[in-house]
Amino acid sequence: MKKLLYILFLALAAVMPCRVHASGHDGDSGKISPKDIIFEHLGDGYGWEVPFNHHKRIPLPVIVFDKESGLHVFSSAHVTDGGTYRDGNAEFRIAPKDSPYHGIVVQIIDGKEYKPWDISITKNVCAILIAVILVCGLMFWLARFHKNHPYKAPRKGLGLIEILVTFIYDGVIKATLGKDARRFAPYLLAVFFFILFMNLLGLIVVFPGGANLTGNIAVTLVLAVLTFLVTNIWGTRGYWKEIFWPDVPLWLKFPLPIMPMIEIFGMFTKPAALTVRLFANMMGGHMIVIVLTLLIFIFASMNMVAGSATTVVSVAFSIFMLLIDVLVSFIQAYVFTMLSTIFIGLAQHHEEHEKEHKEAVDRTQGGAKAAPAPAKA
Amino acid sequence: MDLFTPDFGLVFWMFIAFAVLFFVLWKFAWPVILKSVDSRADLIDKGVEYARDAQEQLKNAQAKADNLLAEGRKQQADMLREADRMKTQIIEEARSAAQVEAQKVMDAAKTQIAQQQKEAEHQFRNQVSEFALQIAGKVVKNQLADDKKQSQLVNSLLDDMEQK
Repeated sequence: MKKLLYILFLALAAVMPCRVHASGHDGDSGKISPKDIIFEHLGDGYGWEVPFNHHKRIPLPVIVFDKESGLHVFSSAHVTDGGTYRDGNAEFRIAPKDSPYHGIVVQIIDGKEYKPWDISITKNVCAILIAVILVCGLMFWLARFHKNHPYKAPRKGLGLIEILVTFIYDGVIKATLGKDARRFAPYLLAVFFFILFMNLLGLIVVFPGGANLTGNIAVTLVLAVLTFLVTNIWGTRGYWKEIFWPDVPLWLKFPLPIMPMIEIFGMFTKPAALTVRLFANMMGGHMIVIVLTLLIFIFASMNMVAGSATTVVSVAFSIFMLLIDVLVSFIQAYVFTMLSTIFIGLAQHHEEHEKEHKEAVDRTQGGAKAAPAPAKA
Repeated sequence: MDLFTPDFGLVFWMFIAFAVLFFVLWKFAWPVILKSVDSRADLIDKGVEYARDAQEQLKNAQAKADNLLAEGRKQQADMLREADRMKTQIIEEARSAAQVEAQKVMDAAKTQIAQQQKEAEHQFRNQVSEFALQIAGKVVKNQLADDKKQSQLVNSLLDDMEQK
């Protein structure tokens, strides 16, 4: 182990100067700007970076729509190096650093920048599609196995997938939703696997990974909004009654609807919490790894020894963080699914449940006369 | 591209991608997988129950078999004893029957012997009377020749007879 670390140290120390050299080329002034690098790596992009080359990118289609000039589709290779692309009368380029639209494709009309509707297949979109294909492929594989071998349990890789399916289906969905499990399982399982694979893809450094998907608020927002929609569209009468006419003393809801307001507020805080939790966790993990890596370049620009020492420490910590991130990827996918299940379960407020609940409450209150009304969670 | 404000393009594609993923899996993957997983779980539950039942039944069957075996053994012993008894009885009967038969044969033999004796005596008597007649005949013949001799002969004949 000691020997291994020593070799690692030497290798990294040797490789370090040339990396600094490479990164020095990238910046305009040769100075490192950590903030730009961090946000470039965390953010979206029109091309997909390839390792060891900062200028070459895998080109992706840019799709923009403008009311006047219509739909424009072109390769991102035309604009990623600061070039301007001309399609008919319209001119497009990626807005420079000092522009308010920094980093996105803008249309130039009379020398002024103007933002068109942009539905480009960016790096993140591409990664999403890869995740979709991956999840679909794995699930079809599992489904085909089940079709061909009824009553058999798959082994090895497929067994792992099935363990995950049953872990979520039996452990979370069935346990929480009971007889409604089968109705909501497709949505919840899709959410789980989609998030899990997006998370894991994000941890792979090179193509087809590396896109900070679940650390992007747009992605988590869509998922949270879908959970919100599923929760409320399939919410039962009991659920809506609990919101607008909850089981609390009359003065809490009649002249001034305090409780209903809190409940309605709660309806929206739930998806917001889902959005931010996943986003912040995944982005945090990515950011720490990037910062640890950047430390190498910051210290290397001071002197050689500090750079070498930082290299070893940083790489060790990065590996540790990435391993933790693998765990976090799973935990966050699990937590998102579990919370979605709980929110959906809470909206499946059945009449008979309510009656049972009321009786139970009556009984406990009958036992302890002075017990106050149970506070709504 | 800002990190904290959701980008329209990404939201749009994310929604489309997820919708596609959801519908495809909903239509083609989950029903098969979940049905299979559920039915397999049911099968395993049933299998466990069945095994437990089978074990119980096996235990019962074992006891039943043991009972039957014991009963069989008892029956076997009874039958053997019965057979033994019958054997002795048959031998006994056979022996007595044989005795009776032997007795009969002996009796028959005895009567036959007696009869034959009687017959022999009868024959003997006939022969004696025949001899007597012959002797008488000879005597009559001799009388004609000599009286003395006649009486002599008669006397010797009578002596013979007496000696017999």
